Amino acid sequence: MNTFRLFAGLKLRLIAGNLRGAVERKVGFVFTLIAAAFVAGIGFLSMSAIRFAEPDLAADLGVVVFSALVVGWAVIPLLSFGVDDTLDPSRLSLFPLRTREMAIGLFAASATGAWPLATLIALLGGVVGLSRGLAGALVGIAAVLLVFALCLVVSRLITTALSSALRSRRGRDALAVAAIGIVLLFQLPNVIVNRGVGDPTALLHGAAGVLRWTPPGLAATSISTGNPLWLVPVAAAIVLIGWLWIKALARALVTPDSSSQAASVRGSTGLLDRLMPDGPLSAVVYKELRYIRRDPRFRVGWLVSLVVVGVLAFSQSGGDSTAGPGLVIWLTCLGAVMIGAQQQFGNMFGADGRALWMNAVVYATDRDLRTDLRGRHLAATTIAVPLIAVLAVAAGMFTGATSGILPAMLLGWGLLGVAFGSGALTSVLVPYTIPDRLNAFTGAAPGQGGQAFLGSMGAMMATGVVGLPIIVPVVLGIGWMGVVALPYGVAIALLGEHLAAKIARMRMPEILDAVTKAA
Amino acid sequence: MTVDAVRTHGLAKRFGRQVAVAGVDLTVPAGSFAGLVGPNGAGKTTTLSMITGLLRPDGGGAEVAGFNVWRDPVEVKARIGVLPEGLRLFERLSGRELLIYNGRLRGLPRAEVAGRAEELLRVMDLTEAADKLVVDYSTGMRKKIGLAAALLHNPSVLFLDEPFEGVDPVSANTLTEVLRRFTASGSTVIFSSHVMDLVERLCDWVSVMAGGHIVAQGPLDEVRAGRSLNQAFLDLVGGGSRDSGDEGLSWLGAQR
Repeated sequence: MNTFRLFAGLKLRLIAGNLRGAVERKVGFVFTLIAAAFVAGIGFLSMSAIRFAEPDLAADLGVVVFSALVVGWAVIPLLSFGVDDTLDPSRLSLFPLRTREMAIGLFAASATGAWPLATLIALLGGVVGLSRGLAGALVGIAAVLLVFALCLVVSRLITTALSSALRSRRGRDALAVAAIGIVLLFQLPNVIVNRGVGDPTALLHGAAGVLRWTPPGLAATSISTGNPLWLVPVAAAIVLIGWLWIKALARALVTPDSSSQAASVRGSTGLLDRLMPDGPLSAVVYKELRYIRRDPRFRVGWLVSLVVVGVLAFSQSGGDSTAGPGLVIWLTCLGAVMIGAQQQFGNMFGADGRALWMNAVVYATDRDLRTDLRGRHLAATTIAVPLIAVLAVAAGMFTGATSGILPAMLLGWGLLGVAFGSGALTSVLVPYTIPDRLNAFTGAAPGQGGQAFLGSMGAMMATGVVGLPIIVPVVLGIGWMGVVALPYGVAIALLGEHLAAKIARMRMPEILDAVTKAA
Repeated sequence: MTVDAVRTHGLAKRFGRQVAVAGVDLTVPAGSFAGLVGPNGAGKTTTLSMITGLLRPDGGGAEVAGFNVWRDPVEVKARIGVLPEGLRLFERLSGRELLIYNGRLRGLPRAEVAGRAEELLRVMDLTEAADKLVVDYSTGMRKKIGLAAALLHNPSVLFLDEPFEGVDPVSANTLTEVLRRFTASGSTVIFSSHVMDLVERLCDWVSVMAGGHIVAQGPLDEVRAGRSLNQAFLDLVGGGSRDSGDEGLSWLGAQR
């Protein structure tokens, strides 16, 4: 019990420590509290509101929501690993604690905090919503406590079992990319409902039919039926998972950190590099292409823009036979803008971050910096241009409006150039630090959210406004104007590079400072 | 009279209310192996950042080989090599790719860069790790690849911020060998450190910083004036007479 109190106190102190930090941290902390209170309130109310649904539907909803909560607890801590120190057992491995004490302590730390409390309150809403009578309510409270414990042990088991992988560079890289999959997973219900695939009630019923036999499903069932027997397997599952967790913990505490063992990379020179004339420009292109392939932040950027376009295309093109060339143009332009709006183009020096000094001690003239910006754009172009072409052709084939393909492609390329030009300017005017450790919740270092917002909004707005002269004619159906779009885009990109290079040379120390803030 | 490798006058920088560097007049003659020593927070890193053009000073000026750092960046940047403390390298390149990128960025032809990179990797004992990503390098390997990158274009003045921190004795020995050979050819090395033994062993010129000022500077023998450099340093920065903790910490080492 002592250990329990000690660790709960430790966690509270860690949380309270946020209040002593800089203003941004305080704001972040208050925001977290508000968000947690909001989730707790909404969760409790909406779970209680299940009471007004038909009993069958209510039972199904309870099963699905309880299962979703457990899945959330399994997945979300993975994304914040490294942010929350209490998740990593290796931080505690040097303290003279027995595994049992450690397990109790970590469990206590998990149970303490705003989000666990919010979960508990939301779960208690389930008692109000599902239980029938006093006996049912008592069973319900027991069930809720069990599901809460289940959430904690499941999340502990997963983070502990994966902790050594999560500490390694490769593990984190893989996770960063996998995080998109997880975000997408949460979007899945949305897409399904939008597309009108089947009847939502039937889908819910089907899902509940399967999930009913999982531990959280059983717990929900026991509340709605008022039968405590269903809780026996739930408790058994908690004991089993808890046992596995303690085993994993014991192993994690004595397993050495393997994160420094590394594999070699292929040292190929690359086709583009061999084709281009030797010099700084091809050096930048070479570096940039390697970064796109190897840095998870770059991979995530490209993947996100593809996924967003894919999801939009999927949800907008469904079953609409009247879609003409307009839709093809719309989708292609959207793709081009999504590619051009990536963080790495609107904050080009931020992408270098703490390595920027290596360039800064070399670049002495406007020309040097222009070469740098152009190299980055060229590298991205070799990927983006074919991609936009494929997008235009695919959209054209899909909708059958093949006449829209060529104007769409040309306009898409032109807009990409406009986006590059605007991005180059925001890169030098509002640079900000992109954290090394990618996490799913923020794209900027603490305190620079404003710059990040300003930068991306600025780039988007500028792209829209500067792009108007080429967008409007093509949208109005003057397809041949697409021919003008490409040179227009290239001109804007060159102009952007030119101005950005001038500003960057004068502001380099300030840019360097802005992109190397402690994250 | 030859031009000094580095000369600053009244170099100053403040961060908010805190004055980091309060008018530094640093002089380093060409061809010297110079140590910039001082306690933590003395302003060493800030001074080096301003001289290498990475940080804009609030006042004063800096010259490298007679060229003003802020007015003549082309001349200055071609002549200097830099290894800042704790700053990152391009982590997602392999060691070899990093060197080649750096050389080509400076306009050296590809074949020439590849040759130099190969030699540097061999001297630094990094040949085996040459194709691993820098992100996976240890501290010592980082310092070595960083130094290799700083040397690749054959600079005439080399700035190193804490180059030996976190480096094992074998790697440190490699680093000093390379640096000795580099200064023997007439080039200048300026490095910051608070390891006095090392400075005493390597340097022929010492500048001592404390509280944002240069408190002593000159040839090594002149600065230490018969004492060990460590003692001279403690005398200069005023840490020598401080009681050694006799009053507090009485429990430390007591019978358990």
